[in-house]
Amino acid sequence: MRLGMVIDLDKCIGCRTCAVACKSHNAQPPGTWWNRVFTPGSTFHQAAVGKDGRLQMNFLPVSCQMCDNAPCEKVCPVGATYTDERGVILVDYERCIGCRYCIAACPYGVRQFNWEDPKKAKQRAGYKTGYEYGHPEDFRDKDGRLSYTPNRPVGVVEKCTFCIQYTSKGEAPACIRSCPSRARIFGDLDDPESEAGRIIRERQVFRLKEELGTQPKVYYLAPVKPAR
Amino acid sequence: MVSNSTQTITSKDIQTTSFLRANPGRKLNMVLAFAAVLLLVSLVTWGYQLKSGLIVTNMRNSFSWGLYIATFAFFVGIAAGGLIVSSSVYLFNIEKLKPFTRIASLSAFACTLGAGAMILPDMGRVDRVYNIILHPNFKSPLVWDVIVITSYMIVTYLSVYVQLLPDWKKEGRGFLNGWTKTRTLEEIEGISKKWSKRVSIIGLPIAILIHTVTALIFATQASRGWWNTAVLPPDFISVAVASGTALVLLIALLFVGKDRFAEYQEAFKTMALIVAGALVVHFFFAAMDLLIHWWWGKPEAHEVLSLVFGRYGLVYATEIFLPAFTMIYFFSQKSKSSFNMLILGCSLLFIGVFAHRMMLMFPSFNAIPLSLSLPGIGIENWAYPIAMGEFQEGLPVFVSTWAYSPTLVESTIALLPFGLVIFVIALALKTYNFLPEKN
Repeated sequence: MRLGMVIDLDKCIGCRTCAVACKSHNAQPPGTWWNRVFTPGSTFHQAAVGKDGRLQMNFLPVSCQMCDNAPCEKVCPVGATYTDERGVILVDYERCIGCRYCIAACPYGVRQFNWEDPKKAKQRAGYKTGYEYGHPEDFRDKDGRLSYTPNRPVGVVEKCTFCIQYTSKGEAPACIRSCPSRARIFGDLDDPESEAGRIIRERQVFRLKEELGTQPKVYYLAPVKPAR
Repeated sequence: MVSNSTQTITSKDIQTTSFLRANPGRKLNMVLAFAAVLLLVSLVTWGYQLKSGLIVTNMRNSFSWGLYIATFAFFVGIAAGGLIVSSSVYLFNIEKLKPFTRIASLSAFACTLGAGAMILPDMGRVDRVYNIILHPNFKSPLVWDVIVITSYMIVTYLSVYVQLLPDWKKEGRGFLNGWTKTRTLEEIEGISKKWSKRVSIIGLPIAILIHTVTALIFATQASRGWWNTAVLPPDFISVAVASGTALVLLIALLFVGKDRFAEYQEAFKTMALIVAGALVVHFFFAAMDLLIHWWWGKPEAHEVLSLVFGRYGLVYATEIFLPAFTMIYFFSQKSKSSFNMLILGCSLLFIGVFAHRMMLMFPSFNAIPLSLSLPGIGIENWAYPIAMGEFQEGLPVFVSTWAYSPTLVESTIALLPFGLVIFVIALALKTYNFLPEKN
């Protein structure tokens, strides 16, 4: 089983609902975003780019690309970053030593460091006290490794887990469920019957920084809407 | 000349230790006190960082390695001198350098210790450092760096140890040398001679490996074009030979002093020549690296070059011109014969090499790997913004560039290896005889 995702860029409306749902479901501290959506070519989000009056506006959501050949996993000196049996790259928050080699290695800029205690960061940013957002329970994999906890320890690296707390129960990640235009398709890429598996076989898909050979399991369907 | 501070040293030392005749031990005491202050201040500041998290540095998600890693790489580089000088004596029969093999080994040992110490404050969870031993991932160049640097620390320690054994036997003191009691001085001298040679021969490949593997930490990463080049490991070696030898030269000069400069002039000249020669090789590698980055004309490569020559042009100029000055100067006969000029040359080189280490970070982290070119609409190399990892009112959370410069806290903590290295060297020079009389 290889869990993966296809994002249809013609369907993405750049609303960033996925980023917000991701952030709150996974209790990310202020300044930390596992999932981002930007308008390529533009300094401002939702601003058209182009020349000679021919403008276009596309959006590119980027979260962990779940590489088959993941540099972050290879550089981790202690094996804190690992690939689980379903092909999901996870971080063991109890083993990470905070060397940040994986952040240097990741070409997608998706890895986030806990520069300070997330509880302190939330308090400092003026988040409501006494209210804890995000999935409240820890998730441990079959070997007992802590791969989700609402407040990660200070000094460790974190990133998208394909919502391991949900997908381990057969539910879809928060970004999939929250997307209003259903631009994201999630599933087992090895399963020929799955929609995601079918799309990557039958449609012209691309992956980010393909030339680096990281072999991501997040695929994109290129936008074909015309510039105007 | 006998000051209060020399009281702890036996009268025999005063006869044999040339340094004490030239420079009173008081100077070393002052150096020790200075180093102790550096150590103390950096340790206390590190305590503050442990309490607050790495947020007290100016590193953020988009610029995740900074002064600490650059300083680490600097100390790895200058740790090379030890075994390069001793190996030159044993492998290439450069007898002139023989009086300085002890200082060379000591400087190497101290700098390795400093490099190791610098890594610790960079870690977010230094309390879990044992995981490297419990769960090593042998694909990670970092694990190999830990292995080779630890080996180098042991080898350079042994190198100092075997060279000091005969002295310790004579003086009836020492460290971990109980086994020498039952042997005669002649035997110990024989053992010392034999093992000094053996250790330096074993040590040479390890010395080369610490630079190779440290460079591989960076060079293996295809995500960062500025690092991802096969020329980086050999270039690290050339810089290490230059700066490591310069450190031995500097310590030797300060230790011998101006008064006895002439006595060891040939050795100093040889070391200066090694420095200059290694710099020629370094500049060749650096030029090839730039040429290849520039020639193909990938937008990513051009972006890196515009950072190197534009935004960080001043740092890059420091990296190029100061060592270039040292190189030219050390080739000239006249400057090699001047005590002050040699000291100046070494110092400029260190500043240049430190700039070189900082330049590993600046162009790499300010060229975001996920950049997109959109053909047809004239968008080239658009950098996909990265979440900083900190929220501050009025500051953007997503950035595509980060004007990193170390905070005061960060700079203070980075004094740790400097304090440690100076402390270890000064303590050793004060306690034992590191400049044997010429036979």
